Amino acid sequence: MHEDWITSAGIDVGTSTTKLIISRLKINRVSGSFALPRFDIVDRKIVYRSPIIHTPLKNREEIDVETLSGWLSDQYQNAGIQLQDIQSGAVIITGETAIKKNAETILHHLADHSGKFVVAMAGAHLEGILAGKGSGALERSRQVAGVVANVDIGGGTANTVFFKRGQVLGTVTFHAGGRLIELDDTGMIHHLSPSIQPWLRHHNIHLTNGSRIDFPLLEHITGQLSQDLTDVLTGQKSLDQLKPLLHSTTVDNIPDIQDIIISGGIGSLWQNIKQPANLRDVAIYKDMGPLLAYQLKQILRQSTFQIIPPLFSSRATVIGAGMQSTELSGSTIYVDPSILPVRNVPVLSIDLTGITGTDDLSQQQLKTLIHEKMLTGKKIFTENEQIPFALSIQGLEHCSYRFNKNLAHTLHRSYRTLFPDAEALITVCQFDMAKALGHSLKLLAKDDYKIACIDQIDVKHGDYLDMGEIIPPSMVPVVIKTLAFS
Amino acid sequence: MDKNVVYTDQTWQTRISAPRHKQGLWELVKATPARIGVGRTHTRPLTKTMLKLQYDHAQAIDAVRSEVSRECLQAFDLFSVDTCFQDKETYLKRPDRGRVLSNDAVKTIKEKCLSRPQVQIVVSDGLSAKAIETNLKDVYPALLDSLEASGLKPGTPFFVRGGRVACMDHIGEILKPEVLVLLIGERPGLASAHSMSAYMCYQPRQGTIESDRTVISNIHPNGTPPIEAGAHIGTVLKKMIEQQASGVRLQW
Repeated sequence: MHEDWITSAGIDVGTSTTKLIISRLKINRVSGSFALPRFDIVDRKIVYRSPIIHTPLKNREEIDVETLSGWLSDQYQNAGIQLQDIQSGAVIITGETAIKKNAETILHHLADHSGKFVVAMAGAHLEGILAGKGSGALERSRQVAGVVANVDIGGGTANTVFFKRGQVLGTVTFHAGGRLIELDDTGMIHHLSPSIQPWLRHHNIHLTNGSRIDFPLLEHITGQLSQDLTDVLTGQKSLDQLKPLLHSTTVDNIPDIQDIIISGGIGSLWQNIKQPANLRDVAIYKDMGPLLAYQLKQILRQSTFQIIPPLFSSRATVIGAGMQSTELSGSTIYVDPSILPVRNVPVLSIDLTGITGTDDLSQQQLKTLIHEKMLTGKKIFTENEQIPFALSIQGLEHCSYRFNKNLAHTLHRSYRTLFPDAEALITVCQFDMAKALGHSLKLLAKDDYKIACIDQIDVKHGDYLDMGEIIPPSMVPVVIKTLAFS
Repeated sequence: MDKNVVYTDQTWQTRISAPRHKQGLWELVKATPARIGVGRTHTRPLTKTMLKLQYDHAQAIDAVRSEVSRECLQAFDLFSVDTCFQDKETYLKRPDRGRVLSNDAVKTIKEKCLSRPQVQIVVSDGLSAKAIETNLKDVYPALLDSLEASGLKPGTPFFVRGGRVACMDHIGEILKPEVLVLLIGERPGLASAHSMSAYMCYQPRQGTIESDRTVISNIHPNGTPPIEAGAHIGTVLKKMIEQQASGVRLQW
């Protein structure tokens, strides 16, 4: 049986800390010898974890890119890894760091200089999902019937994700974190994050930079913050009622949660936390983190949730990024290797469920549907004319040869008409049909434009897709950046 | 697609009436074609379940006894030759007869077929003519596309009535192809009566052993997707030619 390992990197540049992991992913054939080949990631091993360092900042508005790059290359050297060995992975800029002035530049710089196929990610929802994968919440949701929530609380934000039976239901991010108030052991406030101000005002608490805060007030603040978080997770309060705490959400209502996992910096403090008795106990990291961890633990314990310890806590996001961001396409696909890797391609989705007929009427219907969809794509995706979008084809669990041929003709005609200068057409099929469709498209496209046709990847409209170089014998690593939820 | 007639017949469907964990059960049922989660009455299966089982069994028997229609072969320009099987009864009792082509067949093949082709395609009813009727229209053209995409050249394809897998060896002796692919109906089972296999072999000849054959099996609309199987055969054949090997020695 075929067996192979690929190396994957995860880098997490967060509000307060930065870390890196190197892992090895084992790829193995999972289909029988008489079936079509199907490979999957069957084992994941961490081979190196960096120390957790303070995210290097030039000032409050800018990340120090030189120090960060220098640190990364040191870490790669320590790990004994060459850049070209890294075949997959992700770098994510998280929490409040993502709103720094140069965040985007740095993100893409890191992605381009961290390996052959390291994907840039940012955004609270992606961070939430990665943390939930790294903490073990996703895996747990595959084993239990109910909803498993992961709350990753770091310095600036609490990224919450809900999983059910291995699927993401949605994410919610709150302005809740240990570093929103930075202080010393005299209670002097060194920095008050602007993102906690609305919530403080909501509760009639008035704080300013440079003023002093006493222990009872800090206890009250962290207690109230924990209470509000718990209330909104249990459904006692609606998201609307707690708008000042809300950073962003992809759901209107919090689902019924069965199990909850707390990860992130607060999650790791939580494990062995003793009750802080005074400001000196609290300010060991020069912020309110320890007190928040303690209070949240007390209050959450009184809820009906079953609290599950995380597999990884402060490293949950980086482990999610390094070990569980990459998927494998099906192994019977058709991809012109010269277009790889492709980065950040927006997904245009078309649902062909129920449209499998090959009579004239169905053909006309298919033509209209595809042409209109591609027109939409032409209007909204104007950034990259070479590869304007990846077309995700939903449905077609059973696709006949004739329908496949019609589909290829229709796609070819519309694409040629609307995107005469495009370098390649990328299609992503939900079901196992990409090799047949790819052949049909290739025979039509000839050398006019290139074809990448992959399958068995779940993408939705509005997602972004990155595709790495071919992994022998015949699959590609894919990272889907989900922005929308059903 | 025949699927509506053959499989997703909702009228046959029975379910556990009040499952405790509906989604979990649904996931299990989705994962296998086996008859699970169909409900029961006390310790026995439901009448409908039993009827469906008998229905499928009858289909399996019909599949063995059926013949591939002339139209189906004409659609793909396949001429037909016989093995020494004589008739269906003998065919079932004497597997050895299905492995050898009749004298007439040898003569016809020699007349009509390109000798020493790169790829020889052969289609045979085997134990299920229905498998050919159901899947050939999807597998065969997809296979031709995949040969073209892989830059391989087919010889003259034909149909063998009453064939067994090892008739490949006899055909190999006659035509000396570099590689041969045999699309043949599988022994019908209760999950599917119209399942097809693609057997592939590098330089098949008298004395080829089973481990020298590569196979993609379970090809039908609810199993290995027919067009995808067809599309992949070209890749496998190309690897056979490159590695000059097939079966367990082939890396694929």
